[in-house]
Amino acid sequence: MNPGDRIRVDSDDRTYEGVLLPSSTDDHLVVKLEGGYNVGIDRDGSEIDVLAENVYEIDGAQDDESDESTVEFDDDLPTISLISTGGTIASTVDYRTGAVTAQFDAEDVLRAVPDLAGRANYRGRVVANILSENMEPPIWQELARAVRDEIQAGADGVVVMHGTDTMQYSASALSFMLETTVPIVFTGSQRSADRPSSDNVMNAVSAVEAAKSDCAEVLVCMHASESDTTCALHRGTRVRKNHTSRRDAFETVGGEPLGTVDYGNENVSFRRNYQKRDAVDLELTSELETDVELVKFTPGMDPAFLDIAEGSAGLIIEGTGLGHVHTDLIPKIEELIDDGTTVVMTSQCLEGRVCDRVYDTGRDLLDAGVLEGEDTLPGTAKVKLMWALENSGDVEEAMGTSLAGEIQDRSTPWE
Amino acid sequence: MTEDEYDYEALGLVAGLEIHQQLDTATKLFCQCPTELREPEEATRQFTRYLHPTRSELGELDDAAVEESKVDREFTYLAYDSTCLVEEDDEPPHRLDEEALETTLEVAQLMDMHPVDQANVMRKIVVDGSNTSGFQRSTLIATGGSIETSEGAVGIEDLLLEEESAQRVEETDDGVTYSLDRLGIPLVEIGTSPDIRSPEQALEAAERIGMLLRSTGKVKRGLGTIRQDVNVSIEEGARVEIKGVQSLDDIDDIVRNEVRRQAKLVEIVTELDDRDASVGDSQDVTDVFANTDSGVIGGALSSGGSVTAVPLYGFDGIVGREIAPDRRLGTEFSDHAKRHGAGGIFHTDELPAYGVTPEEVAALRDAVGAGEQDAVAIVAADTDVAESAIEAVASRAQTALEGVPEETRGANDDGTTRYLRPLPGAARMYPETDVPPVEPDPSDVPEPELLTEKVERYQEEYGLGAGLANQVAYGKYMPVFEDVVADGIDPTLAATTLESTLTELRRDDVPVGKLSQRHLEEVFELAEGGELPNEGIPDLLTVLAKEPEQSAEDAAEEAGLGSAGEDEVREAITEVVERNEKQVESEGMQAFSGLMGECMGALRGKADGDLVSEVLREEIQKRA
Repeated sequence: MNPGDRIRVDSDDRTYEGVLLPSSTDDHLVVKLEGGYNVGIDRDGSEIDVLAENVYEIDGAQDDESDESTVEFDDDLPTISLISTGGTIASTVDYRTGAVTAQFDAEDVLRAVPDLAGRANYRGRVVANILSENMEPPIWQELARAVRDEIQAGADGVVVMHGTDTMQYSASALSFMLETTVPIVFTGSQRSADRPSSDNVMNAVSAVEAAKSDCAEVLVCMHASESDTTCALHRGTRVRKNHTSRRDAFETVGGEPLGTVDYGNENVSFRRNYQKRDAVDLELTSELETDVELVKFTPGMDPAFLDIAEGSAGLIIEGTGLGHVHTDLIPKIEELIDDGTTVVMTSQCLEGRVCDRVYDTGRDLLDAGVLEGEDTLPGTAKVKLMWALENSGDVEEAMGTSLAGEIQDRSTPWE
Repeated sequence: MTEDEYDYEALGLVAGLEIHQQLDTATKLFCQCPTELREPEEATRQFTRYLHPTRSELGELDDAAVEESKVDREFTYLAYDSTCLVEEDDEPPHRLDEEALETTLEVAQLMDMHPVDQANVMRKIVVDGSNTSGFQRSTLIATGGSIETSEGAVGIEDLLLEEESAQRVEETDDGVTYSLDRLGIPLVEIGTSPDIRSPEQALEAAERIGMLLRSTGKVKRGLGTIRQDVNVSIEEGARVEIKGVQSLDDIDDIVRNEVRRQAKLVEIVTELDDRDASVGDSQDVTDVFANTDSGVIGGALSSGGSVTAVPLYGFDGIVGREIAPDRRLGTEFSDHAKRHGAGGIFHTDELPAYGVTPEEVAALRDAVGAGEQDAVAIVAADTDVAESAIEAVASRAQTALEGVPEETRGANDDGTTRYLRPLPGAARMYPETDVPPVEPDPSDVPEPELLTEKVERYQEEYGLGAGLANQVAYGKYMPVFEDVVADGIDPTLAATTLESTLTELRRDDVPVGKLSQRHLEEVFELAEGGELPNEGIPDLLTVLAKEPEQSAEDAAEEAGLGSAGEDEVREAITEVVERNEKQVESEGMQAFSGLMGECMGALRGKADGDLVSEVLREEIQKRA
């Protein structure tokens, strides 16, 4: 008896007939009945007859497509490269865990989002097939190389399909690693592609439109509100996932989003200045110092917690308020710095700028050698420090300077 | 021939029911929001969405979903302070509500059903916008039961626990507005086996199921809280699912009309076959109507539209044939055209009319090569719509050559039905991965007392009359009655208040719907404790219905409805008697009944009737 077989199960005084599903466990058989309902039946005391074998090809169900679109190249359209890393936008049900997992390549995305057709010529590429919580710095590097290769191969814009959990980190990483001549637009979905209400269609369409624009920066393109009307374009280094489940979870911290895509008329517009296409030469600097930690200070924190950072190349502290920790921690931090660790202060307030010159604790931290991260988001600061330790001659100067829009010189959250 | 003459057995009538009943739980099925309905004006937010059909986990697309999504529509949703992100499809569902599951298991027990070992929540794809997610969550809870009817047992195939869809508020050309208050209210769906053999049995089975559901005391009452779908087929016909029969009393008519419709369609097949009928190719006939006086056609053309036509060879006289009361075969064609956005169709069996001249009809027949024996159907609309609508008409006409189409139909108010969409298939079912399976435990579910048993007990135990007992048991306030009587309230007082008094107040336009169980309980407590005479109950309920935020005690005090002491009563009565001194002296005790009413009025419900009567008697005697 295998998944896909049509079976009959006699259990007590009930009889069920249907297709055996792979989600069965040691305790339960899961059977899809004629009407489409799944039902779990205790294996204990059940008598099973296989009526027909392999009625459904369960594993291949998603690949078994005869109407595969062979899209023709249109000289009048720009070429957009779709790079998939996995995640909700390209996911379907995993029968092993019963949860949603990534199983699609870029071509499947085209099939899953027919609305993308006719907007561009597409190149598809899979860099990873992971849930974004499993993202790791080596994959950022691989992704950056893939984007560079795609641009060199003639892509007029790149769309990166990414799980939403760590999208902001990957977008930051590419912001620092790449001098880009074309738009690099990250997008994903908060509601999985297997539901009719998924935000994947509008996000993917809007991302492609943004990738056709003349903004050669790393952007995140996601819903601007709970309505399917507008997507926001966030700078990769200023964006943060601020809600667990809402479609408009992504927000630009400390300001309005850089731009918007109107889903109705497909108009891409920007609020502020941005880097235009071909303003720089395409360049990849992908080396990273991965021995960097991010620690959030909270009341009652065991100072021994900082021992873990001993010998690390870098440490980002997410301090309280203007950028503080318990005074008792300062000697330990000083020790780390003396030992060669670069320590950068950011704030768990998220909104606003670190200023360690206002209170004694701050001044003591500065005396200990802590660098102020300005208004850089803590997560972005971690990625930046990884990059700066490898690629910048003066790390202290780099951490206080905006390299990819991560620091705003003027605090004007209304812009 | 009238429908009454049909021999249902000979025709091979097979019918089944699907009954949908909302449950009266504290919270919704997949979130902690209350299950209360709101007015659209109370909405605090609104947002818009689109839906796209998706494949089942077996890789199939559902026909019904695909047809629904052919029209790209924008959906607007109204949200309230009583709805949350779960209804907005912006937060994953919480776990399956336990209260709803328990009630469903009670229903299962009442119908002798077998609960499943492990219930798996499914997504049933529905892309008409009535669910923000694009699917309705539905769980099979039990199978294999039966109920009794006078014409034999009817099997109960399955019992589902589902979430109610959003309420449609408004529909425009661009899209539909839905209200989120109803979305997520628990709903049980009971599907019978196709064991029903007559319209009367269909009605009886539906009544029986309704009674069993209400016996739990945990179902919602009132318009729209129960909906019946009826599946009907005759031997030579096809399975047709009729959705949304609002009134139980319509069920037998719906079945009768559907049998007649299918029988007529079968007759039409034979007749068309004899005539060697066929459906021709559809074409553009805009030129024929270039100078038309027809308002409908002229209107479509003046806004740049087209007229399309399909010749129906051998169909003359048949398109206009009545197949249900006031509905012709042409009406069926028209239903399909409407699904594609057209306003309807014209056909030669009804033309010339509607401003279309005999000359135009002749020219139309010429243009499509239709002779005397043939019919022509036309659609006038925007070019895209006219083209796809006439194809839909042609396709439905083709089906008329073959027989009765399997389809989903909607119930009309007059007992007829209209085409809605193809029958949905199993392909629309997809597992709901956001909710873990649950293992129902039927062992500690109490078996509820049936309403029929309650009627008997109310008579025997409480001494209620048969009529009142029946009213209470089948009435909306049955659970309140049981609760207050268990708390020691006099059953007769409770029953008359809940059935007679509230009905009278409703007739007087008192908003009794605002009265909660708490209000009623408090009023009964005051009455039972002697703090409120029974005569004051209507007035107090009126006050509470108008100011539901008040407690009964405060409202009684404010309205001066507390029990008057004997002194106060005697004072008021003395006043009345003195005012009518002459009458009392001349008539003696004969004046009693006339003055009793006046005294009660003077006391405005503050005094108990027995006390007033006793004091009045004394006062009259003193003077007579």
